[in-house]
Amino acid sequence: MKDTLSRKVAVQLKPGNLFAHIVLLGIGLVLLYPLVFMILAGFYTKTEFTSSIIGLIPIAKAPTLDNFTVLFSGTADSSIQRYFVNSGYRTMYNTFWALLTSLLAGYVFARLRFKWKDQLFLILLGTQMIPGTIALIPTYLEFARWPFAGGNDIFTGGKGILDTWWVYFIGGPSLNIMGAFLVKQSIEKIPYELDEAAKVDGAGTLRIIFQILLPLQMPIMAFIAITTALATWNDFATPFFYTSSDKLQTLPAAITRLSSAAASPGAIPNWPLIITLGLGMTIPALLIFFFFQKYIVQGLANTGIKG
Amino acid sequence: MNDRKAVETAPLHLPVTNVSTKSSLKKFAVRHKDALIATAILSPMILWWLVLSGFPTMFGFFLGFFEWIGIADSPKFIWFDNYVRFFQDPLYYEALWRSIWLGGLVTGITLIAGFGAAILMNMPLFGKGVYRSIWYIPAVTSTVATTQIFNLLLDTNNGVINNFLKSIGKEPIVWQYSVFWGVFWIVVYSVWKGVGGAALIWLAGLQSVDVSLYEAAEIDGAGRWGKMRYVTLPGLKPIATYIVITSLIGAIQIYEQVLFMTGGGPYGKTEVLVFRIYRDAFWDFNLGMAGASSLIMAVVVFVGTVFYYRWSTNSDRSSTIPIKRRS
Repeated sequence: MKDTLSRKVAVQLKPGNLFAHIVLLGIGLVLLYPLVFMILAGFYTKTEFTSSIIGLIPIAKAPTLDNFTVLFSGTADSSIQRYFVNSGYRTMYNTFWALLTSLLAGYVFARLRFKWKDQLFLILLGTQMIPGTIALIPTYLEFARWPFAGGNDIFTGGKGILDTWWVYFIGGPSLNIMGAFLVKQSIEKIPYELDEAAKVDGAGTLRIIFQILLPLQMPIMAFIAITTALATWNDFATPFFYTSSDKLQTLPAAITRLSSAAASPGAIPNWPLIITLGLGMTIPALLIFFFFQKYIVQGLANTGIKG
Repeated sequence: MNDRKAVETAPLHLPVTNVSTKSSLKKFAVRHKDALIATAILSPMILWWLVLSGFPTMFGFFLGFFEWIGIADSPKFIWFDNYVRFFQDPLYYEALWRSIWLGGLVTGITLIAGFGAAILMNMPLFGKGVYRSIWYIPAVTSTVATTQIFNLLLDTNNGVINNFLKSIGKEPIVWQYSVFWGVFWIVVYSVWKGVGGAALIWLAGLQSVDVSLYEAAEIDGAGRWGKMRYVTLPGLKPIATYIVITSLIGAIQIYEQVLFMTGGGPYGKTEVLVFRIYRDAFWDFNLGMAGASSLIMAVVVFVGTVFYYRWSTNSDRSSTIPIKRRS
């Protein structure tokens, strides 16, 4: 027992492996540094942070937990816990729809045979190359002109669905193209005989999708869920551009507003609050990552290999 | 003759009668079953996608042919004037050029560093999983939040890096006044965020290379470098195509780090094209130029992808070079 242990240690201490350990750990710590800094800076009070000299490893002289409790209680002028709840609901909603649309569309493109299938799929994939920025203003106009909403007669008169919850709900049922692509790749690896057998047993299309194929798609579904959840959780654009009232804000939009206010000349950034919100965003993302990291590695492997 | 007739008429009392009474609609449904199911599933999603992404994007391109400054103003059709301006105004063509080289630089550093890390992570190390996680963590953080942390580190008066420079007796640097440092930190931030993901994809590629090929190469007398050159690299070809294309498409469209870190300054010398589009659309309300620039960006990305894909699928010779036998 002891012998194998010492042999294992000896293997780790071979020059090549030792070098790998040093490089991976050393650079890894450098990569982690900004996040460590953020967490340590979270213990500072506002006055100490602005008045003392911040070193490479910031240790507060009078550490406080106020910045962390503020995440749950909010401050006088901003209701942080509401941003939290909004971000959370939005994340769950978008993740649900992303899973559903990618599974269904992935099945259609992998298994069904119909005219123009490949062409349609290529066109959809091709649109992924277009920078999303171009659609921001037209989307704004579209939301403002949404028929019969927010005081609009048909197209004009009111503010449409801008600054309402619809801004968040409306994107849900849209097709998730990258997800569909991944599910398609993954389903194509499963032998078609499985579908045939289920058909012979009298299973319909929905039963084949949800009871036969879905259980085999779990790794890729988890990957889609994580990437969608993280993307929505970190998305600042939608709330920032299409909403303005405080009750609709999410965490990233709040940070964006704070920091763009800080960017105006003469303003002193409210660093502790920005750090607090940043922590509030980062910690849940890290938790999601740690719980599901196995699937991220698998999912990235799947996305790559077929190219 | 009689025999065949008997066979044909024999099972008439069975479901054959059913078939003959089937309506033409039902026949159509059976013959086009797949297409009908596909339509039923896809059409609501694609329709919704068209309303929310397809139409706004087309509309954005369409705006490129108009002069439309400020939403309250009425648009004026000006043919290709916006495109002509794009290639005459250094504000635009320089931003495009900057997007291309900055994207190339970020992709290059990220992929090379990620490849090195992947090779190390592929060694028989204790705690590889921990290293994988640590390296990937920056990718899951929010750009808005972490750029603010970088800004905090780079603060002129009380930023950590300037404090450090002061403590070792160097002059503090006003990062925001220098084009070089602006670009430098944008690249550092982008690599910081991307290197872990690149390493994981390379690692998946390394692990998918057929082990028996290494054994074969060893028998043929290949050393460590020979195995890398003639087995690993050709085996990574498909994954390399994938990762280079997706990373380039992503890196050429970088704009959030520019928006939150330098704001395009100083003097617009760190502006990249997508940031320029953002700025035209939301700060200057020059919707026409934003549309024209977007179309040019999309064309550049598309052409680049097609060329790279062609090149990488044609140059497949490297894998056919025979390994020299040790005599």
